Amino acid sequence: MRRGRLVATGAMLAFCLFALWQSLLLPLTDRLGPGPGFFPFWLSLVGSAFAVALLVSIYREAPDPADADVRILPHGPGGRRWLAVVVSMAAVTAAMDFVGFRVAMLVFNAALVIALGERRWWIVAVFAVLGSYGVHYVFTTWLDVLLPSGRFGL
Amino acid sequence: MEALSHLLAGFAAALSVHYLLYAFAGCMLGTLIGLLPGLGPAAGTAILIPLTFSLDATGSIIMLCAIYYGAMYGGTITSVLMNVPGEGASAITCIDGYQMAKRGRAGAALAIAAIGSFVGGTIATVVLVFAAPPLAAVALKFGPPEFFGLMLLGLVLLITFSSENVVLGLLSALIGMALSIPGTDFVEGTPRMTFGILELMDGVGFVPVIMGLYGIGEVLAGLERKDPPITTMDINAKTLTAEEAKASVMPIARGTVIGTFLGLIPGIGTILPTLVSYATEKKLSKHPERFGQGAIEGVAGPETTNNAYANGALIPLFTLGVPASPTIAVLLGAFMMNGLAPGPFLFRDKPDFVWGVIASLYVGNLILLILNLPLVGLWVRLLRIPHSILFSLVLAFTVVGAFVTSNSIFDIGVLLAFGLIGYVFNKIGIPTAPMAFTLILGPLTENSLRQSLSMSGGDPAIFMRSATSISLLVLAVAALVWTAFSGLRRRRAAGGA
Repeated sequence: MRRGRLVATGAMLAFCLFALWQSLLLPLTDRLGPGPGFFPFWLSLVGSAFAVALLVSIYREAPDPADADVRILPHGPGGRRWLAVVVSMAAVTAAMDFVGFRVAMLVFNAALVIALGERRWWIVAVFAVLGSYGVHYVFTTWLDVLLPSGRFGL
Repeated sequence: MEALSHLLAGFAAALSVHYLLYAFAGCMLGTLIGLLPGLGPAAGTAILIPLTFSLDATGSIIMLCAIYYGAMYGGTITSVLMNVPGEGASAITCIDGYQMAKRGRAGAALAIAAIGSFVGGTIATVVLVFAAPPLAAVALKFGPPEFFGLMLLGLVLLITFSSENVVLGLLSALIGMALSIPGTDFVEGTPRMTFGILELMDGVGFVPVIMGLYGIGEVLAGLERKDPPITTMDINAKTLTAEEAKASVMPIARGTVIGTFLGLIPGIGTILPTLVSYATEKKLSKHPERFGQGAIEGVAGPETTNNAYANGALIPLFTLGVPASPTIAVLLGAFMMNGLAPGPFLFRDKPDFVWGVIASLYVGNLILLILNLPLVGLWVRLLRIPHSILFSLVLAFTVVGAFVTSNSIFDIGVLLAFGLIGYVFNKIGIPTAPMAFTLILGPLTENSLRQSLSMSGGDPAIFMRSATSISLLVLAVAALVWTAFSGLRRRRAAGGA
């Protein structure tokens, strides 16, 4: 997957150059020896050189005809399920602090199991409740782990 | 003799009721996770780490080790009954295991897998008992330069053995190393590349990264594929015959040696040992044409190797602090989360903990054997749960697990980001194992490098002052050169063909 590797290596090069710049803002040495910037500096220098060499090598490779059949992002029914899972996880990340763990996971579990093909409402309900309020009970009562209760304490 | 007396003390701890319960729970949960197609021991162990937060260090590691080899056996069940490997190392078992199931011999296949796993795991643990203390005693003489050489050698071996394409493996390793940089500088205590994000003061959490790469990444890949058929072969009452048992003795013996020996070498991974075992059995068989048609040797050997490797790979972890596989890297991370640094100092400073865990490996292997022979019917029923429910359970659990690691919603974001990275990397052929290794070993490598240079006032010649340090660095360079040379030769051969 030549194009994908070019993009990944290009991203790696950009990251290494950024890290190189950031490491120069830190002291490379201190009174004890190598400073906080020492390791990141050399690592990002080596990484940048390696990424450039790899970019050149991948660019000079003959394109593989089989790559035309490879699609990175999924499509079709599988693609819809994939997107539903990714969107659900992004939504629960964004919402959990505001609505609390129980509500966020209740909606997340219900949406997830429906997106993955379950249509029996009672299974959706049981899974959603157990996976939110049930898990909350287990972690807070049995395992003494605090979970966010959000702005409304639900 | 000293090792035996320590081991007896370890058994006294491991056979206590609560540790037995943890080992039992770990075996059950590990087998359950191993059943899920695509989720291997690495993802399973990482996903279940949050369950151990409320346990003490010994209990936590006992449970995680049990989850580890439980997951290895769980993968065998789906291989035999559904022709779908639960994880990579069980792929070989599909070849003959499923054929045996089709001929009505599923019970025999699963029984010999359980027995072989028990024998291989137990003997590998015996090797651990006798090899670990002298190895740890040698490693106690290591200073920062020797540890740096060891980390470098370990990283080179891990990268070269765990990646089909070493260059892409190096790319992945550099990304992991770069990810280990943000956090608080361990010498000066100042923030380093945290960009004002409070959650990054402790660095990028390895648990959400591993769960993302191996758990979410695999689930996302699985969503694209059609669900494998839910129908499974029935387990009938016909168990192992005397003839089958006799035919399995030597494959089990050979599998034990192969798995234990290869477990000592970092980076080999779980698939190569089982491949070596299968190839060996086929080569040595008087009727190699039976392989692929349901030969019990094709199940006994690889399955024994699998578990012998799982236990043998704990030797470099306990004695040198070097993980031999992604799953062991997760265990290394779990050690660190419990405030323990695996390596020679652990034997010296925390012998109760070390020998308690080693004793529990024996106990856990026995629990696995006792559990899985009668419980196979239950696992078969669990496999009939629709994948929509199973995958949803896994996803929900990883979200909860990522959050409770540091009580931080930021880690759920990390989980999702690395899930997407793992998915994309798998698609474009970049291995993810090197990234996982260097994320965990990166800080240790930097630590030894900086300590060495501090000791010498910045003079790199410190790495050439001891024979051990020179040998380790030479081996690391030799491994890299050999890999580069082999790669070039393969490319020339492919170009000429």
